[in-house]
Amino acid sequence: MSKDLLPGPYPRTPEERAAAAKKYNMRVEDYEPYPDDGFGYGDYPKLPDKSLHERDPWYQWDQPEMRHNWGEPMHWDFDMYLRNRVDTSPTPVPWHTMRKHFLIFLSTMLIMFGLGEIYPSYRPVGPKQYPFNDLYLERGGDPNKEPPVVTHYEI
Amino acid sequence: MAAGPPPSAAEAYRPNRYVSLPAELDPNTYDLSPEKRRAEAERLAIRARLKRQYQLQLNNPNPPTVIEDPALVRWVYARTQNVYPTFRPTPKTSFLGALYAIGPIVFWITVLKADRDRKEKLIKEGKYKRPLSVL
Repeated sequence: MSKDLLPGPYPRTPEERAAAAKKYNMRVEDYEPYPDDGFGYGDYPKLPDKSLHERDPWYQWDQPEMRHNWGEPMHWDFDMYLRNRVDTSPTPVPWHTMRKHFLIFLSTMLIMFGLGEIYPSYRPVGPKQYPFNDLYLERGGDPNKEPPVVTHYEI
Repeated sequence: MAAGPPPSAAEAYRPNRYVSLPAELDPNTYDLSPEKRRAEAERLAIRARLKRQYQLQLNNPNPPTVIEDPALVRWVYARTQNVYPTFRPTPKTSFLGALYAIGPIVFWITVLKADRDRKEKLIKEGKYKRPLSVL
């Protein structure tokens, strides 16, 4: 493709903007380049950050899987907004409500788990009691000697 | 101090980078003014012209081997070859470049060094229990 059809530097004059809009097949009023911050965008148009999930599934696109028409300018993050990836379609519940509910739940659970670690609570326990004089023979005691008597009870 | 009017449904929804406003709440989908209709008509004209070009190539009796999409070529070029010519060192880009390039290296150097110094101190004091090694 010839050089004037490929992306170039940031457009400075209105004529350059009009030429860039025509190059990208957009209206001059719709064309809005990324701000000239030196980040490497050039004159590429800043399209709305909407994923492919939001595009009409019933329209006859030229490329149905990509929901994209031939010659239509692609979003800079096109490969992020695919239908397998990021989805920006509207949710039934607003985002700030979902975030608030999730953070309340998460913080409650974490605080309760933390408190449970600091102040554990369980039924009263005593030391484990072993039979056969505290397992005298199993622990290697001499079978010929008399084992020490171990009582675990008081009457 | 009286509160203002209650927020409209679109304002209560508060769309952001991660969700868009539903079409039912968006005032742009209702009551299109004549200017907006003219803009839509111009966009439709551009779309129809592009569709015609594509269909002519597609239904050609001797179709070309590959119908190249100029939008795709431009997208690839913009993301790969047009970044360096249009890059400009500014305070923001320099700071971000240093942060992402030098930051992780410096971070991991300090973390590993601090960990090894702590272990060395424990070994010197005799408090470190050597882990079991099967090698």
